Amino acid sequence: MTEMEAKIRTEAARLLSEGLVDVVVAFRKEDAPLRPQPAFFTNVEDLENLVYNGLCANNLANYLTRFPQETRIGMLVRGCENRSVNALVVEKQHSRQNLYLIGIPCTGIIDWRKVVALTGEDILTYEDSAHTLTVRARHQTFALPRQELLHSSCLRCVHPNPLSADIVLGEMLPEGDPALIRERVESFEALTRSERTAYFKQEAERCIRCYACREACPMCYCEECFVDHNAPRWTESGTTPAGTHAWHIIRAFHQTGRCTSCGACERACPMDIQMTYLTDKLGKDMWDSYQFAAGMDDQTQPPFASFTLDDKKHFQVGGKQS
Amino acid sequence: MDNKPKIAFFQCQWCLYAPEDQEWVDSRLPENIHLIKVPCTGRIDPLFVLNAVQGGADGVVISGCLPEKCHFKEGNLAARRQLVEFTSFLDYIGYDQERVRFVWLDLQDRGRIQRELADFESQISRLGPAESLATRVPLSEGGAND
Amino acid sequence: MKYILPKHELNALLERWSAEYAVLAPQKAGAYSEFLPFTAQSELCLEEPHNTRYPPKALFFPQSEAILKYKRNLGQLESIEAVPQKRVIFGIRPCDAKAVTLLDTVFAEGDNQDPFWLARRAETLLIGLGCNEPGATCFCTSTESGPFHTDGLDALLTDLGGEYLIELLSERAAGLFSGLESASSAQQENAQAVQTAAEQALPKAFELDGLKDKLDRVFDQDVWAQLSESCLGCGICTFLCPTCFCFDLVDEAQRDTRVRNWDTCMFRVYSLEASAHNPRPTRKERTRQRLMHKYSYWWEHAGKLGCTGCGRCVRYCPVGLDIRAMLRKASAYESEALHAN
Repeated sequence: MTEMEAKIRTEAARLLSEGLVDVVVAFRKEDAPLRPQPAFFTNVEDLENLVYNGLCANNLANYLTRFPQETRIGMLVRGCENRSVNALVVEKQHSRQNLYLIGIPCTGIIDWRKVVALTGEDILTYEDSAHTLTVRARHQTFALPRQELLHSSCLRCVHPNPLSADIVLGEMLPEGDPALIRERVESFEALTRSERTAYFKQEAERCIRCYACREACPMCYCEECFVDHNAPRWTESGTTPAGTHAWHIIRAFHQTGRCTSCGACERACPMDIQMTYLTDKLGKDMWDSYQFAAGMDDQTQPPFASFTLDDKKHFQVGGKQS
Repeated sequence: MDNKPKIAFFQCQWCLYAPEDQEWVDSRLPENIHLIKVPCTGRIDPLFVLNAVQGGADGVVISGCLPEKCHFKEGNLAARRQLVEFTSFLDYIGYDQERVRFVWLDLQDRGRIQRELADFESQISRLGPAESLATRVPLSEGGAND
Repeated sequence: MKYILPKHELNALLERWSAEYAVLAPQKAGAYSEFLPFTAQSELCLEEPHNTRYPPKALFFPQSEAILKYKRNLGQLESIEAVPQKRVIFGIRPCDAKAVTLLDTVFAEGDNQDPFWLARRAETLLIGLGCNEPGATCFCTSTESGPFHTDGLDALLTDLGGEYLIELLSERAAGLFSGLESASSAQQENAQAVQTAAEQALPKAFELDGLKDKLDRVFDQDVWAQLSESCLGCGICTFLCPTCFCFDLVDEAQRDTRVRNWDTCMFRVYSLEASAHNPRPTRKERTRQRLMHKYSYWWEHAGKLGCTGCGRCVRYCPVGLDIRAMLRKASAYESEALHAN
């Protein structure tokens, strides 16, 4: 058990034993190698299964919308998860009063696929520490520099610290450079039109419509997703180009002003499809046009929900679109 | 380009103040312009625009009322934010922003819609056909079945 | 008949086959291996300890398949012919080949046989590659299969290091290997040793004997809620599964086409009825359904186990759910909770 795990378990035990929460949402130790699982702890005794390390790859805020508003939830939140929680509170998906956020400044989530690419498959145990992931495989032990294993979204993370946690365990970390996200969008924009379309198609057309991206995303919680609408039928449901293009375009677009760039979508995808290049573009536009970034507080309405008459300065009379 | 460009025209039902303009749209719109009338531009979901693009539209025109003139008070403001961003997003993945035109009309814009559509059509003709995202074109219009 | 093929001669052999067959083999277009058409420039991807990500069932049962075309307003219907094509699928793993035979139960037997499946099956040869070092998520030895099992294969390759030992399993594949050297007894023994070592390297992940009955007995118990609580309800396990076969028929009216798409019991809308009643209303019912179908209902309907232990559901589950652990837990629950004094 690491020091951080011990701290989390202590805090979780306190919350449960003092009856301050009904459930603690965190991670439990894995069944499959390198894959700790999201877990819901309701008893102090079960906390011995609680783990926390860089392989905890899911955005736990995703589970917020499973609970009724009255449920008092204690949740482990790293930087992006805290922002997702904020975004959900803005959308009234849970009452902030019924949330107890256990904040963890995050040094990045490890992409298990990068690990197995280096170590092969036969992983017995692993240990995550500040700079190194030590992996004991059947024939060999590897000491891998953590930085090389991080998921690409984490490499561009601007806010690794929980913004509005009720308690923060661990030292706050320096903020990341917002230019990293911006530059990546701008370099895509610098490609020619046909290069951009080709890239989009190359990514989207691998899609198998499993909707893991949607299910892993905290902001996708609609009871009926647009793909399930029948009358009228907006998008094709199979893996035809029409279907896969529409899925990626519209899912990304529905995240405008809501996505916190956590990357859970890409980590969930079994076909390694790139998606954050779409949502980051929309996030950049929301910042440039409306000075809005999702999840920075739990009050401010996102731009598409907060149009005003002041927008009229963009309307133009006389021929030119604006 | 031999054929005329296919244009999807989303028209807010209130924005053509002059009855003769509405009558022209209803009965004398050129065949290559497909009219979709909506109760307000606020009704236009980006999915409508995507459907038009995937259906083979070489260009999309959206006409509505000016701010403060919306029949439903704020519909056009909601439309404005979403649809302009969607246009920018489509451009990001290669569907030229110039292929989507917004026409915000007022009382004194009698006869303007005809000019806008004609001007837009020549602009689209210069841009050429938009093939890259046209994946839901009906068989009868040359689409594929796979 | 057993043959020997030096590894450096493999591409030439597949090229020879290409004169008569469309050959598909595992290759990387991007980050992962998949069955792609073999060409003279192909770089085969055969050294991985696990199967391809996307299951080869798609080569017989594509994820989206047009089955009917029509011309609107003209009342013309055109069915899409299912034309057999001579193919060789090379490098398929035993778990996936066995899965194809299980899908034969669904698509190729009884009264309603699927013409598209039959056409694709008819003239396609499956040349398998056994797994010397099964991956950490493999569990074929727990599902009446194994890293060198031969169900569904026309031939099986065993990797001996510098060469492959090829065991011919069906007459129709004989022509593929004519002219190859016969394997010596030493090479055959070597292959046997490799195969045995592979089997032994994969101990059973759960006890299959009696599992069906145990699962049936705990159907109504709380254990399912615990097992499914982190499940996202995505379709990864079902779509990557080589034995899942559910599909949906859709009229893509805008393109005048009727399409068959894979469907999944993991989605809420799968069992959602027009009245809005849903017999599987929560994740618990749906996750339970998946396990029960594979490990209980398949026995009832087909007299066979519905899983071949390929491990894709374990490897790619976004929340790390492991069907092996879930079965062990359900089984243990049955033993402990239902039989505790």
